[in-house]
Order: sequence, then C-alpha cells, then structure tokens
Amino acid sequence: MPDTAQNKGRMLTFEILQYNPSDPESKPHMVTYHLEETPGMTLFVALNMIREKFEPDLAFDFVCRAGICGSCGMMVNGKPLLACRTLTRDYPDGHIQLMPMPSFKLIKDLSVVTGQWMDKMSKRVESWIHTKEEHDITRIEEPVEPEVADETFELDRCIECGICVSSCATALMRPDFVGAVGLNRIARFDVDPHDERTTEDYYELVGDDNGIFGCMTLLGCEDHCPKNLPLQEKIAYMRRKLATAKDTGGGLEIRVEG
Amino acid sequence: MKIQYCDALVVGGGLAGLRTAVATQEKGLSTIVLSLVPVKRSHSAAAQGGMQASLANSVMGQGDNEDVHFADTVKGSDWGCDQEVARMFVTTAPKAIRELANWGVPWTRIKRGKRSVVINTKRTTITEADEAHGLINARDFGGTKKWRTCYTSDATGHTMLFGVANQALKDDVDIRERKELLSLIHKDNRCYGAVVRDLITGELEAYLAKATAIATGGWGRVYRTTTNAVICEGTGQAAALETGVCTLGNPEAVQFHPTPIVPSGILLTEGCRGDGGVLRDVDGYRFMPDYEPEKKDLASRDVVSRRMMEHIRKGKGVPSPFGDHLWLDISILGREHIEKNLRDVQEIAMTFNGIDPADEGSKGWLPVRPAQHYSMGGIRTKPTGESPDMQGLFSCGEAACWDLHGFNRLGGNSVAETVVSGMIVGNYMADYCLKNDIDIDTTTVEAFLEKEEQAIREIMSRPLGDETIFDIKRRMQEIMDEKVGIFRNGTELQEAVDELQDLLRRSRKVGIRYVTHASNPELAEAYRLPKMLKIAISIAYAALLRTESRGAHYREDYLERDDANWLKRTLVQWSDPDATLPEVFYEELDIMKMEIPPAFRGYGRKGMIKEHPQSAERQAEVDRIRETLEAEEADRFEIQEALMPFDLPENYKAKNERQGVGYA
Amino acid sequence: MASIIEGYLGKRVDGTRSRMPARLDRWQSATGVFLGLFMWAHMLFVSTILISKDFMYAVTRMFEGSFLFSEPHPVIVALSVAFVFAVFIVHAGLAMRKFPYKWKEYKMLKTHAFALRHGDTNLWMVQAFTGFMMFFLGSVHLYILMSNADKIGPFASSDRVWSEGMWPLYLLLLFAVELHGSIGLYRLCMKWGWCNGSDARAARKRLKKAKWIITVFFLTLGLLTLAAYIKIGQEHRSHYGERYHPAAALVLPYSPVQEVRS
Ligand SMILES: Cc1cc2nc3c(=O)[nH]c(=O)nc-3n(C[C@H](O)[C@H](O)[C@H](O)COP(=O)(O)OP(=O)(O)OC[C@H]3O[C@@H](n4cnc5c(N)ncnc54)[C@H](O)[C@@H]3O)c2cc1C
Ligand code: HEM
Ligand code: HEM
Ligand code: SF4
Ligand code: F3S
Ligand code: FES
Repeated sequence: MPDTAQNKGRMLTFEILQYNPSDPESKPHMVTYHLEETPGMTLFVALNMIREKFEPDLAFDFVCRAGICGSCGMMVNGKPLLACRTLTRDYPDGHIQLMPMPSFKLIKDLSVVTGQWMDKMSKRVESWIHTKEEHDITRIEEPVEPEVADETFELDRCIECGICVSSCATALMRPDFVGAVGLNRIARFDVDPHDERTTEDYYELVGDDNGIFGCMTLLGCEDHCPKNLPLQEKIAYMRRKLATAKDTGGGLEIRVEG
Repeated sequence: MKIQYCDALVVGGGLAGLRTAVATQEKGLSTIVLSLVPVKRSHSAAAQGGMQASLANSVMGQGDNEDVHFADTVKGSDWGCDQEVARMFVTTAPKAIRELANWGVPWTRIKRGKRSVVINTKRTTITEADEAHGLINARDFGGTKKWRTCYTSDATGHTMLFGVANQALKDDVDIRERKELLSLIHKDNRCYGAVVRDLITGELEAYLAKATAIATGGWGRVYRTTTNAVICEGTGQAAALETGVCTLGNPEAVQFHPTPIVPSGILLTEGCRGDGGVLRDVDGYRFMPDYEPEKKDLASRDVVSRRMMEHIRKGKGVPSPFGDHLWLDISILGREHIEKNLRDVQEIAMTFNGIDPADEGSKGWLPVRPAQHYSMGGIRTKPTGESPDMQGLFSCGEAACWDLHGFNRLGGNSVAETVVSGMIVGNYMADYCLKNDIDIDTTTVEAFLEKEEQAIREIMSRPLGDETIFDIKRRMQEIMDEKVGIFRNGTELQEAVDELQDLLRRSRKVGIRYVTHASNPELAEAYRLPKMLKIAISIAYAALLRTESRGAHYREDYLERDDANWLKRTLVQWSDPDATLPEVFYEELDIMKMEIPPAFRGYGRKGMIKEHPQSAERQAEVDRIRETLEAEEADRFEIQEALMPFDLPENYKAKNERQGVGYA
Repeated sequence: MASIIEGYLGKRVDGTRSRMPARLDRWQSATGVFLGLFMWAHMLFVSTILISKDFMYAVTRMFEGSFLFSEPHPVIVALSVAFVFAVFIVHAGLAMRKFPYKWKEYKMLKTHAFALRHGDTNLWMVQAFTGFMMFFLGSVHLYILMSNADKIGPFASSDRVWSEGMWPLYLLLLFAVELHGSIGLYRLCMKWGWCNGSDARAARKRLKKAKWIITVFFLTLGLLTLAAYIKIGQEHRSHYGERYHPAAALVLPYSPVQEVRS
C-alpha cells in the first residue's frame, strides 16, 4: 500500500461554508474544524467524520463514494472537484477550504441542486434518440461500427457532475448558458448512428449565445472534467458544424387574410 | 395538508423505477417518480460489468439461448428462485437489451476477425464471424456457460441508467428528486400512495395514486463494508414492512462480492476476472483452481467469496493495517485491454490506492477482500410484481423479491433484472391502474400524515443522551459484518439478533442535537435508523432460523443444502410496530412444478445436499415429457411450455431472433 | 413584418432560429484573425527602424504608393488606417458582448478566476482587460494616424513618440496588443479546433508554448523598436518637425524624391 503511516496523525484544518438559505436567521459563514488524518483519507471520509464528531447537521451529498455518480462536486480550495475522490494527502499544508459549487442553487452548506439543472439541460438539448424508425425488439439489433459505438460511449461517459459548469466563468456569468455538459451531449447524439437529427436540428437547440456561440473557450471544463472528456475538441467540432449550418433564409411569410 | 395526485407513483429512480415509470407513462398514465437523489445518481449507475442477455452474437456465445440462460440462473440461485419468474426474465432480457440499444445505450460491438482474449490466464485468439460485425458483444461472467454479459466498456450501469432516464425525460415523466418515502398509505390491504418527506424543506406531503411501486434498490448499508452506495439503506423495503401487512422474502439471502478493493470497499467488477484476471495469495500463488478445478476464478460469487475467506483463514492472506486481503491480478491482460475495457477499474485503483493495475508483475496487483454486495431478498411479490399481501402495491428491481435470484444472483443478472422487471411489472401496473380507481377519504390520508409528523416531533423532543445516532448505526453495521457475514453460525447469529434488538430499542430513544426541519441530515438519520434496524434484524433472524447452507447463505453448523426441509422461501412480517422481532413464515417451493428439479450446481462442494424425495420423481417426469416430445419433433418452445407454462404479456413472450438460427 | 415577428418572438416566420448568432461569431473571429495577423505585419513594419532609418523610410514610402506612383499619396495610408479602424470597431463591438456587464457578473467572474487559478481562464481575463484598454489607446493611435497620414517616417514618428509624448501610450498599447493578439490567435485555434490534429491535447500544449514564444518575441521587438524611436526622438528633439531625408537622396541633389519634397 502506498499509504504509509508517515502521514498518519497529521492535523488537518478544514474551513467549511455554513449557510442555510431557507432559514432567515442563517448567515453565510466559514467554520473551522481540526481533524486527524487517517491513511488514504478522502473528503468523503473526512466530511463524515466531521458530521459524526462535530456538526451533525452539516449538509453535503455523496452517493457512490467512488467517483461514479457525480453527486459530490464541491469547491476544494477554489477548484471544483469530486470530493469522494479527493485525497487529503494531496494537500501538503493540510489546509482545505470547502465551498459549495456556485452556478447551482444552494440547498445548505455544501449541498446544491444539480439534478434539476441537469434535467433542464437534458430537455433543452433533447437528450434522447430521435428517430422515425419503428424498431421490433424481437429482431436482431441494428449493427453499429465498433469504432462508432466506442466513440459514442466516450462522450456518454459524462456523469452530469456539473464540474464543467462550475469551472466555466461563462456559465457563472450567464446562468442560461448550456455549459460544456450540454454541448458535449449534442456532440454525443451527433455521433450516435441511431439519432437521425441533422446539423440544422441541433442549431435549433443550441444555435445561439446561450448555446454553442456563448462558449468563450475558457477551457476550464476541459481541464477539470473528472471523466476527462474531450470537451475542447467536441465543442470546437460542434461549433464548426453549427456556425456553417444551412440557412433556410427565414422562410416565406405566411399571411392569412380575411 | 399537501396532497399530490397521480395515476402511477413510482418510488425509486434507479433502472427499475425509471423503466417502470416509462411503461406506465407510455400507456397514458400520469406518472410521478420520487427519489432520494437526482435519478441519474441512483446506484444503478455503479454497475460496471454488464447485463446478461442471451443474444449469442459472439463466437463465445454461440449456441446460447433462453434455455441456457435459464439453467445458469436456476443453478446460480441454488434452486432457491421462482423458476417461472426466471423463465419470464430470460425470455424478455434479449428484448430489453435491444430496446436499450434503440434508446442509445452504446453497447460495445463486435469487430469481425481475430481478437485476442485471455482465457484461463492464457492468451488465446478467437475469430468473430463477418455476420456478427457490429452486433452487441458479450464477455464472460461468473457462473455462466456462455459469454453472455453485454457491456459498455466498464460503465454499463451508467450508460443504461442514462439511456432509460433520458427516455423518461422524453416521455415527460414527472421526476422529483430529494423526496423520501416514509410510509405507505393503506387501508384494508389496499395501497393508496405514500407519505413523503421533502429532504430540502423538511415538509411532509401525501402522494395518492391508483398504484404505487417501490423500486428503492438494495439495503447493503446495514453492513459496514459494502460495495453499495451510501443511500442503499433499505428504507423503501422497511416502509413496506412497517405496513404490518406486506412481507419480505428471503432477507437472509445476502450476496458477498469477491473483489471489492481494500480498504474503501469500492467494487472492482467481475469483468476483471471475466476478462481473464486471477486471484492470488500472499505467495503470489493462484489458488482458485485448487478449490474449483472447473470454473476456477469464475465460479459463482458465493463460492468464490467463501473460497477466498477459507484461504485467508488458512493463513494465506496478505496482512495489512485493514486486515488480511488477497490480490486481484489483471496486469496479465495487458495495458491496452485495461485502458480500453477496464478503465474505471484502473481509475479507481489509481485514485483510491495509487496502484496502476496495468503495471506488470506484483506492482499492479490490487488488494481485494469479499464484502456485502447485493440483497437477493426484498419485498415479496407475485410474478406480476404485485404484492400478494397488499393490492395496488408493486415492487421491482433489487428492492423486490419476485424471486429471480433465489439464494445467489449471477453477475450481470441484476441490471438485466431491473429493466426486465421494469418492463413487465410496469406493464401489469399500468393494467392495474387502468382497471382500478381509488376512493379514499382525506381523514385517512390525514391520519397517515399526522402519524409521521408526530413521529418526527417525538424525535425532536427527545433529550440528548451520551449515545448518538451514529454510534448505534456503526454498531449495527459492525454486528452485521462480524456475525451475519459470509460464514454464519447459530451462536453468533443469536448474539446478533439479541444485540440488534437492543439497538432497536435504544434507537427509539436517542436524541438529536439540531431540531430544525429543513435539510437536517441528523434528523434523517434518526428516523431511518429504526427502519434499517428492522431490516438488519430480519436478515439476522431469518439467517438464524434457516438451518442449512444454500447459495450465499452459508451455515458452518449446517453445511448441507437441505432440500428435504428447507426448499422454501422465508417470509418476514412485522405486524406489531413496537415489537423487536418480526414474525416468520415459510412458503414451500413446489418441486413438481419445476422445469429443472434440484440437483448439484456444478461448482462448490460436492455431496453436500440432503435430497428431497420429489427431486428424483420430478426429474424422471421431466425426462419423460422431454423424450416424448422430442420423439414428436417438438421444438424447444413446445417442450418448455409442456414442462412449465408461464405467463408474460404477449409482446414480451414473442420469440427472439438470433444470428444464424433465426427465431429457432 | 417577418422582422417584427422575429424581434418579438425570437423565432423566424418559418419557425427556425436566426443564423445571426452564427454569423456574428464568425465575424468576431474573422476580424480577430485579421487584426491578429495585421498586428504581426504591423510590428515588423514599425520595427524596420531597427535596421536603419532609410529602410523604414523606404517602407513608409512604399505604403504611400511609391511602387505605383512617382508621388507619395498619404491618402492611401489614411484609407488603410480607416479600414483597419473600421475592422477594429467591428471587432470591439462584437467582442464586447462577452464582457461582464453587471456588477454581479463581474464579481462572480473575478472571484471565480482568482479562486480557480486556471491558465486559460486567466488568459481570457487578460484578453478582456487588454481589449478594454485598447478601446481607448487603440482609438487614439488610429485617429492620430488617420488624420496625420502624411506624418509617418523615421523623424516624424520619432517626434510623435518623444516630443509629442506618445511613448507612454505606445508602451501600454504595445503590451495590450501583444498579449491580446497572441492569446486571441491561440484561443481561435482552440475555439474552432483548427490545429487539433489527431491528438488535440498534445496540440494544445504545443500551441500554448508557441503562443508564449510569439508574445515574448513581439514584445521584445516592440520594446526595442520603441526604444529606437525614443532615442531618435530625443536626438531629433531640437529639430522637431523636420522631416527625414534619406542618406541616398542627400548625395543625389536632383533625386526625384527631393524634388517633390522641396
Ligand atoms: C458496485 C456495484 C456494481 C454492480 N455491478 C453490476 C453488474 O455489473 N451487473 C449487474 O447485473 N448488476 C450489478 N450490480 C447490481 C445492480 O447494479 C443493482 O442491483 C441495480 O442497479 C439496482 O437497481 P434498482 O433500480 O433496483 O435500484 P437503485 O439503482 O439502487 O435505485 C434505487 C432508487 O431508489 C431511491 N430510493 C431509495 N430509498 C428511497 C426512499 N426511501 N424514498 C425515495 N426514494 C428512495 C434512490 O434514490 C434510487 O433512485 C452492481 C451493484 C453494485 C453495488
Ligand atoms: C477595442 C479593442 C478590442 C477589444 C475591446 C477586444 C476585445 C476582445 C475580446 C473580449 C475578445 C474575446 C472574445 C471571446 O472570448 O469570444 C477578443 C478576441 C480576439 N481579439 Fe480582440 N479586442 C480588441 C482589439 C483587438 C486587436 C487590435 C486585435 C489584434 C491583435 C485583436 C485580436 C483578437 C483576436 C485574434 C481574438 C480571438 C477572436 C475570437 O475569439 O473569436 N483584438 N477581443
Ligand atoms: C493601418 C493601421 C495602422 C498604421 C498605419 C499604424 C502605424 C504605426 C506607426 C507608423 C507606428 C510608429 C509610431 C508612430 O508613427 O506613431 C506605429 C506604432 C504602434 N502601433 Fe500602429 N498602426 C496602425 C494600427 C495599429 C493598431 C490597430 C494597433 C493596436 C491596437 C497599433 C499599435 C501600435 C503600437 C503598440 C505601436 C508602438 C510600437 C512600438 O513602438 O513598438 N497600431 N503604428
Ligand atoms: S462533462 Fe465532465 S465535468 Fe461536465 S458534467 Fe460531464 S462529467 Fe462532469
Ligand atoms: S469552460 Fe466554458 S466557455 Fe466554453 S470551453 Fe468550457 S464551456
Ligand atoms: S459520491 Fe459519487 S461521484 Fe462522488
């Protein structure tokens, strides 16, 4: 085990935001806790210890505690990270400041509403297969080129953790921006052979300054995505496509007289 | 009083719940899904390895069909399962996976031509046919005759969950997160909906529906070391139990997975061994072939887990500050394979243990030890998913015991079960909603609401003692780990039952520090704990009473599988809310109706079965029917129908097409 | 009517979205590319002073059309400046849309950028800030040149830099434009994925390095150039206003250039 006893017993200092927006009495403030480090300690372990020992009503969200479900994004010393896979030993000075992710509605302390945000995003980009074909599920499935399936999977790995949103200044300034997560989703359906949507269809969904043209290429998303998705590449690709989407010219004006 | 109405109420937004909701919504019923967390974060997302369905696309799956899948499942269950349900399941599974493909799940596909794989630690080349090119691939999993486990790299659950959740969004299912089921509203054995707590505001609401489904997943968190997510606390099942009417089936049937990583307990998928990884001991020796010459590292989970513990007990474990463990070696698969097909495993190992499993030799070995993984038991239902005890209440997924898995579930059969049961149960539930209306007076609803409100006020009024909620919870988990684990015996189980009862009493008195309603995790712990204890007691008590070893339930003091006395399903009911022990009943399994009567599983210890006299009798009957029909040139479907007829909605009962053999 | 409908409803009459956002984005980048590349050329041009006064003089003449006409036509310069000015304004107008324009947005941006300590976000902050500076600095420079298109040359320019006190503005503008331009070009490659190649992440690393090299190169060049103008300006201070006569022209009393000048 690479975790040796050497860092055991080190004192860690946690500075954690506490605030309950639904309570008129509550004022946002930072609270400091000291905790002895244990081998292989993650923020999941540390926060649970703090809850058990000092602050039973400290709010935070974990589900899988294995970096799979995307529940536990928070700002650790200013950077958005999945807390469950953040090891305390990576903080040599032992000082860890925890803030909730901005850009999402605060529930309490470190707990924010990401689910509804993501659902809204999913509906906005119509995050499902669009096809006119009727499939008979007793029949052999449509063949898909293995490489194409892999490529779709690559982009399907997004766990909707919201870290790309919280590391994107654009999203912070403009709450209606779809974020890298939404743009990646479009790219994902674009490669999926089951989806029949055209570039023009995607333009209808994200062809504006809250969509693809709102991205200022800050690349915070690319550099913080815990799933290492190729966000820069995919956003650029969709941008090229959508910036040259065919124009219907606005169409004819329909006038109903009488 | 806040009351919400809908046609179908689904509690739980994992694969099972969402697929059920899609089924009812698509039949035009207004459907609400409630979940503790955003649904895409449900624990289904964590399933890595894959989903079983007998597509028979790959060369290694050739010859596979419903019959083979059925036989594997029944053997895997150690004959504890409901064979009719298993038949329904294997018939629908290929349809489920094809439906998911159409919904965009990017299943890993077959590439024509030669492919290098590791079988039995040897690198072997297999050749995929041209016709198979582009079809859904499958990998090897424990306890199966064929390569049948379809996968998307090692994030199968994630891609499936997103596929189904997106479909639910498309259908405009009303999904509400951070809503917790507290209790079911029922009267005269008819369920009318649920009392639900909003975890943000702390408010209680009543949801009234024509039918209610519970799909709240597993209860692994009654154990301390488990692969389950922190929300898998069994509160949904407890709510059913607390009606005093509904029963839990086989709670003692708890699966332990062989390869969670030490110390975090995070699962490393069975795909590691399926793809060719092996287990090694302190000397780097591959020990499984000594115990299981035939299936080796890939015997069923209960067997491998026990063999590992047995080996550790022989002093062959690797000592560590977190107790003895063994090694899982996947470095032999090669870096390329790991980085493509086992990437999540690599990521977990690197993040949590600082080990790169692709590193050659012992440097890349991963520390593993068996831990709680899956609950075969759950809310007892009929094959339609409806509770036999309460009308209008359905259940599916890991939360339910319609009894597909008996005493041991095969890897890959669970996510398959979630979607299949979602399809089937959703269908029956929709039918139920279309046929039945509800009429319930608001005073009844109010009474249920008031009862829960009163319970919360009572918790808040308790004085603060020395003991905290967390202390009791930790103790419960330790007891379950130590005394209701892989190896069980009467003495320890009795101790467990006694102490758990004591904990339950104490949990009803323990005070909390903060008495706010809104978003108060401590309060939530306080009202959940007695529910979890009831589940824990049910498990321990049922395990104590079952004096045999079957599947994952292993009694050191009763080593035999006792078909003569124990071929029956445990049913647990908690009719007195103040009691600390449930009532236990048994439901006989009818051998004379089985398609495959009890026999040796083909792995595990030989000669450890106390036969039931009917087994041989039924076997003779089965052989006779088969012979006669084969002579008449009946096909396998006709023979099956003659042996054990089963019901399934028409569209799901249809035959499945396969490459090369068509609908045969 | 169609335009009114779109204006109020955000949808065109055939129910589709306007292509304007796409067009604006393309124009923003196009003007950026133009200005970015123009600035490279511009810096090379003004830095000819480092080679010799004569050379700079010759290049100036060339821009005034010496290769076409026998007489210099500063109006060509004036028109070119006007054109660049126009592009500059269009670019600024388009890019401005990205600025934080409310206090809350600005506060959010600032807090975020400081906390995140993220390279590319910081680069954008620099870009937005330098862009904002150039509104003023660039406009002044361009306006002066446009209205004094005939007063460009080794002495005229040096006088402007030193005697007319333009050097502080140039110093600031130099830093602003070099940082802004090279960051802008790097961002363009990222934004459109032009240089992604087969391994986008490796390409990004390479480009970022190239970006820094280019910035440093042009800054050094610019500073040396500015120093040269200042030095000449100081030396020439007593002859302020006097125009430069190329060495070659002095030797040949009847050179056509001199004829024009007299
Ligand atoms: C680490 C791991 C790996 C696995 N890998 C595989 C595999 O490879 N193949 C396989 O076949 N199986 C696998 N399994 C098993 C399989 O993933 C699960 O059994 C299955 O996903 C359960 O799905 P579900 O829909 O029943 O429940 P879950 O996905 O657990 O969903 C439960 C839902 O219920 C909600 N809920 C719970 N309690 C309440 C309440 N009181 N009120 C309201 N909502 C509530 C939750 O919010 C959640 O939405 C794995 C399991 C684990 C732990
Ligand atoms: C008033 C003057 C200017 C202002 C206010 C300004 C502002 C900006 C801003 C804010 C951006 C970022 C746009 C985005 O993130 O989408 C930008 C991009 C850019 N600017 Fe400027 N700028 C000015 C002048 C210049 C000049 C003189 C140059 C030439 C060197 C230049 C070159 C670029 C380039 C190449 C880009 C990248 C284009 C893109 O992202 O599409 N800008 N400018
Ligand atoms: C066609 C348009 C332009 C012309 C003809 C032009 C010409 C010149 C000339 C002749 C000089 C030398 C000093 C002087 O004579 O005052 C100069 C310097 C400078 N110009 Fe421009 N310029 C143009 C556009 C721009 C633009 C758009 C910018 C940036 C926004 C810019 C930035 C600078 C800077 C920073 C210097 C000082 C360089 C140094 O000393 O190193 N110029 N320009
Ligand atoms: S794109 Fe990456 S950072 Fe963004 S939500 Fe998905 S996984 Fe998280
Ligand atoms: S950080 Fe934001 S601005 Fe674009 S490149 Fe990523 S979405
Ligand atoms: S808890 Fe699931 S990603 Fe952290």
